[in-house]
Amino acid sequence: MAAGGGGSGDPLAPAGVPCAFSPHSQAYFALASTDGHLRVWETANNRLHQEYVPSAHLSGTCTCLAWAPARLQAKESPQRKKRKSEAVGTSNQTDLLALGTAVGSILLYSTVKGELHSKLVSGGHDNRVNCIQWHQDSGCLYSCSDDKHIVEWNVQACKVKCKWKGDNSSVSSLCISPDGKMLLSAGRTIKLWVLETKEVYRHFTGHATPVSSLMFTTIRPPNESQPFDGITGLYFLSGAVHDRLLNVWQVRSENKEKSAVMSFTVTDEPVYIDLTLSENKEEPVKLAVVCRDGQVHLFEHILNGYCKKPLTSNCTIQIATPGKGKKSTPKPIPILAAGFCSDKMSLLLVYGSWFQPTIERVALNSREPHMCLVRDISNCWAPKVETAITKVRTPVMNSEAKVLVPGIPGHHAAIKPAPPQTEQVESKRKSGGNEVSIEERLGAMDIDARKKGKDDLQTNSFPVLLTQGLESNDFEMLNKVLQTRNVNLIKKTVLRMPLHTVIPLLQELTKRLQGHPNSAVLMVQWLKCVLTVHASYLSTLPDLVPQLGTLYQLMESRVKTFQKLSHLHGKLILLITQVTASEKTKGATSPGQKAKLVYEEESSEEESDDEIADKDSEDNWDEDEEESESEKDEDIDEEEDEDAEGKDEENGEDRDIASEKELNGDSDLDPENESEEE
Amino acid sequence: MVDEETIRVVRCGGSELNFRRAVFSADSKYIFCVSGDFVKVYSTVTEECVHILHGHRNLVTGIQLNPNNHLQLYSCSLDGTIKLWDYIDGILIKTFIVGCKLHALFTVAQAEDSVFAIVNKEKPDIFQLVSVKLPKSSSQEVEAKELSFVLDYINQSPKCIAFGNEGVYVAAVREFYLSVYFFKKKTTSRFTLSSSRNKKHAKNNFTCVACHPTEDCIASGHMDGKIRLWRNFYDDKKYTYTCLHWHHDMVMDLAFSVTGTSLLSGGCESVLVEWRDATEKNKEFLPRLGATIEHISVSPAGDLFCTSHSDNKIIIIHRNLEASAVIQGLVKDRSIFTGLMIDPRTKALVLNGKPGHLQFYSLQSDKQLYNLDIIQQEYINDYGLIQIELTKAAFGCFGNWLATVEQRQEKETELELQMKLWMYNKKTQGFILNTKINMPHEDCITALCFCNAEKSEQPTLVTASKDGYFKVWILTDDSDIYKKAVGWTCDFVGSYHKYQATNCCFSEDGSLLAVSFEEIVTIWDSVTWELKCTFCQRAGKIRHLCFGRLTCSKYLLGATENGILCCWNLLSCALEWNAKLNVRVMEPDPNSENIAAISQSSVGSDLFVFKPSEPRPLYIQKGISREEVQWGVFVPRDVPESFTSEAYQWLNRSQFYFLTKSQSLLTFSTKSPEEKLTPTSKQLLAEESLPTTPFYFILGKHRQHQDEKLNETLENELVQLPLTENIPAVSELLHTPAHVLPSAAFLCSMFVNSLLLSKETKSAKEIPEDVDMEEEKESEDSDEENDFIEKVQDTNNTGLGEDIIHQLSKSEEKELRKFRKIDYSWIAAL
Repeated sequence: MAAGGGGSGDPLAPAGVPCAFSPHSQAYFALASTDGHLRVWETANNRLHQEYVPSAHLSGTCTCLAWAPARLQAKESPQRKKRKSEAVGTSNQTDLLALGTAVGSILLYSTVKGELHSKLVSGGHDNRVNCIQWHQDSGCLYSCSDDKHIVEWNVQACKVKCKWKGDNSSVSSLCISPDGKMLLSAGRTIKLWVLETKEVYRHFTGHATPVSSLMFTTIRPPNESQPFDGITGLYFLSGAVHDRLLNVWQVRSENKEKSAVMSFTVTDEPVYIDLTLSENKEEPVKLAVVCRDGQVHLFEHILNGYCKKPLTSNCTIQIATPGKGKKSTPKPIPILAAGFCSDKMSLLLVYGSWFQPTIERVALNSREPHMCLVRDISNCWAPKVETAITKVRTPVMNSEAKVLVPGIPGHHAAIKPAPPQTEQVESKRKSGGNEVSIEERLGAMDIDARKKGKDDLQTNSFPVLLTQGLESNDFEMLNKVLQTRNVNLIKKTVLRMPLHTVIPLLQELTKRLQGHPNSAVLMVQWLKCVLTVHASYLSTLPDLVPQLGTLYQLMESRVKTFQKLSHLHGKLILLITQVTASEKTKGATSPGQKAKLVYEEESSEEESDDEIADKDSEDNWDEDEEESESEKDEDIDEEEDEDAEGKDEENGEDRDIASEKELNGDSDLDPENESEEE
Repeated sequence: MVDEETIRVVRCGGSELNFRRAVFSADSKYIFCVSGDFVKVYSTVTEECVHILHGHRNLVTGIQLNPNNHLQLYSCSLDGTIKLWDYIDGILIKTFIVGCKLHALFTVAQAEDSVFAIVNKEKPDIFQLVSVKLPKSSSQEVEAKELSFVLDYINQSPKCIAFGNEGVYVAAVREFYLSVYFFKKKTTSRFTLSSSRNKKHAKNNFTCVACHPTEDCIASGHMDGKIRLWRNFYDDKKYTYTCLHWHHDMVMDLAFSVTGTSLLSGGCESVLVEWRDATEKNKEFLPRLGATIEHISVSPAGDLFCTSHSDNKIIIIHRNLEASAVIQGLVKDRSIFTGLMIDPRTKALVLNGKPGHLQFYSLQSDKQLYNLDIIQQEYINDYGLIQIELTKAAFGCFGNWLATVEQRQEKETELELQMKLWMYNKKTQGFILNTKINMPHEDCITALCFCNAEKSEQPTLVTASKDGYFKVWILTDDSDIYKKAVGWTCDFVGSYHKYQATNCCFSEDGSLLAVSFEEIVTIWDSVTWELKCTFCQRAGKIRHLCFGRLTCSKYLLGATENGILCCWNLLSCALEWNAKLNVRVMEPDPNSENIAAISQSSVGSDLFVFKPSEPRPLYIQKGISREEVQWGVFVPRDVPESFTSEAYQWLNRSQFYFLTKSQSLLTFSTKSPEEKLTPTSKQLLAEESLPTTPFYFILGKHRQHQDEKLNETLENELVQLPLTENIPAVSELLHTPAHVLPSAAFLCSMFVNSLLLSKETKSAKEIPEDVDMEEEKESEDSDEENDFIEKVQDTNNTGLGEDIIHQLSKSEEKELRKFRKIDYSWIAAL
């Protein structure tokens, strides 16, 4: 935390660096750091707007600063007005920034032109300027100094309008009343001056230490029945160096009351105070106090007479770094300033270091008594100024992002079992009838066990390995089996594998298909074999659709580009294989026509376009794979073929494409698959 | 309470900055650029707009500094006037009425009382360069009809005209030839590129021209990227040219540095090339300027360059080729696909920006906040390349999520589509890619919307596509044993009879989703994704769809391509009302029930504001724009206004902004014309008064010394100078602004009389230093400053003050001398 402005070792100097938000829309934040640089930041995008180094920044560092009210620029001096018949309108832009320095001079800096506008020296202060206040209407500037004087400046003429002794010790803070006719000054005591006559109107006790901030909190008296003279009944707030209490005072009609009406307690010395003025009786004053320990305390209170007990804050805001794992513990990040936005519902927080502060707009949630914001400002530490030229922000794209490509689960809606009674298949959360499937599977296992026992003798250990691998989910074991390139071996293994492992195998294959294209090529062989050999078994499963939905989507997306071609190709292949199958009489798989019937039933149940298309192209895919292998020595279940044929007829045999063309299309297909894999 | 006059359409910033070359002020502190009907004055240091000079009634087409007084600026416009401005104070000094459309303006220091302009008088496509004599007159509006013709049949663009070698000749290029007109000889030579005659596809057309400031050398830029340096062109036969070739595409602009030692060129490569000593070897580059360089200009002081770019920005570049400032308007390079959005977090307007970027534009400060690089690929600036376009974007969940869709379609069947979902990370205060979805649909995505209901437990996004499906994406927990993560997955895919899905929209509470499939609107339950009902009016494809809000949440509005606006009641599932309105833009106000619809007719665009519950509009404004309005958006106000009259109530909570086809951003204002929405002036009240520095003492003494010398020489001739302060006529003349003075003729005699000494007549003394005189003239222009400083100093008793008084009186003496000079000529005339 930067200690006291001006770099003086004075223990009674206020903590914190001079900084201020520009009035109205808070578009800028000016901060005069202890190295003598004035930096103006854009609050909306946290960009350094400009940087200015006063020529005497080492000897006379900036001790206080104040933005000129925006209306000041719009008002024209009388002589100019004459000159301009073409009226130039008001401006919302703020421009002038007044800087008080440690040597007593006051600089006016133009943020529009980016240069020093004028310097108020002559007849002014000869010691450190403690506070500067712009008058809201008249274009006057008030400053107070360690030299015990208060000076009223005529900014138009850049000269002293009036200079008077404000106190017996240094005057540390000023504030102008809402109606612009009175001035509060804080030295040893707090005094209320009538600006016209420069006479003391009221005295208040004040603080034991120098007052660092003074602010009016209301613009209307609490009870509106009495006639309002512009000052009586108003409350103001004061905070002082080394004082954890903020006092609230009321200007009363009788002179005797000198002590504070109430007080707010905070955890450390207040560094920056902002408040929203309450415009009527019901509306509470919102107060944001930034303390030296880097916290912000928010108060919300309707000011209404005495309160003996100091009020504690409604909400405390802290900012900390994220503690990354066990290595680093969260560290607090000091908040430098806080200002209410014009909607009064959010707060602009300035935090971090003063040479590279971060400005953030935080929505206020009054319910929470404590807000701790975790912010990672580690990448902000490197002084970056020159990136501002392009004004480009690059959002983070890292490898942790999830990538969805067609076929990966999540890219398309998961296929859910159709609710039997409704017409629409679309239902959001339905868990499929798993029990049935388990029963079915158990039944299937019985048959399967018998079959396995019969065939066990002839094979090598591949089916066993596969089964074990699938059951134990052993990656090594599965790799050993699945990475074989021998088509015959694959076929034999698939033929001899137990039926209950078919679905797990398919799921494993699907998972691997989504992986690297090189391994996917191998998996295609396996998949083709499994689907052709065990089609009948698969078609008996009632929950086939949800189980293999992912696989279906994957296949569909992979063959999408040549859908019609693959349909035709599949059909032709089917015809050929049927012919060959009828010629050959081999020891084929046991389940025959039965399975076909079940399958048909299934399909007739499902009426949605989705489901039909689903099976449809599942078959297509099969055919594709077959063609891609272009090896024709396999055993194919005719049941499935017929089924697919039926589907293919729906798709229409509109075109007769020469077989060479198909082959061409086929050769295109495979690289496509692989490229999509990536 | 604001005066409630009429609601007017006002331009609210982001206007074009790159229409013409920007012009620097003599001290390089300011830069001027034309912007629609205005001239904008920017500070080169802070990038801030200092003044907006408004007075022209049509597009401003050219600006130039007054060569005789560099505190003044000429501007010309299509409205047929040339205006003279005092840019420091932002005041219009004079208007010269020429009467015909002026397309460009040039000034030459040697031609004292005339400027040059490009006009077209007879035929629409034939342009002439004429010299316009600006008559000396004291009145505010002067007719300047005295045109003398210089060159005919020239290119309209001011880049194709250049004055060279202190105004000795003017060079103009058009198509394949370069013509040079010599003012002294009054002859024109014409040079044609030899290759262009025989080759049919020669691409060496001239695109721009620049002249060396002191030598006889003309640089011309060509379509094929070559720069030719022409010399010895006084001779029609012996002329020579050399080629410089770096650009691979058309040279967009050329400029010589002030001394002429280097030549700057730029093109669509967005690289500024500096050719030193006009040789091909010596070149320096400033790359990565972001967009095509359209104009290059050089400050008269020689310390700064600036480039205007096609993405509506001006980059100010130091002499050592370092970019120092960027004046960025609303990026207008490309068409807007994303529409207008409001970022809930920064309250900035969000739309397409630089290629592949989303721009965040602050409406309050009329400034670009930043560009968010969505596509993150190097933009290759080449003609004919099909780029990845950012086509859709949407904010969800109070700005925590941003969804973007990018697409690239080279051929009909080759569509590349990608959807990215970005999460706002509060810790780092930036967006982080959460999920990237390749080919979320088979065809273009037509609509994208988040469910923004406050109570929704799960962020939901809906995409509708031409492939006939709409997909519902939800955020799911993707945590595994390695990390905690969330990611988006598809939850539901819906379709309706294979029709293309054209629009989608959630109801305010998020319970219903409306998706339009061409002519049919379907309503889906957002919990079970069941189709609840369909509406079909057979009135053409649905173009816009939105739910009513607050008390009108039971209504659904749809606007069709056939010009019917329908309102359905969701409770009765029946058509509530319909109206014949060709709706182009339909936007609901997030803070009220109001819906704004902009309809397009042959005459222009009309605005209708209505509540869905009643078919009678709340407010109608006809003719808000002559062009087609493409997008609109309601921007919630930070602090609500309190208009009481019924017609303006719709503006209480939100402000309506819309974007026309030519990409000007407009809004409605209720304020009286004097209170412009844009910050028009930053008139500084306080006068500048800077104390003297040590440098001043050194320099000032030197000056003083010089002055004294001068004085001595003067005193030899003049017996005595009267104290000018004491003469009322003099002080009046000096302290009254120049443009409110009566005519010089009127003042002359009085002034001269006041200066006359009782006995001798003065001989007008020629002042040797012209430059000095110039300076004094300027100081006279900012007369009040002097006036004021004097007053200050009067009150001071410091030694310093005396110095200044002394010096000032000197300067006044000089003014006097100058006046004497002028007067003398007047006397001669009398």
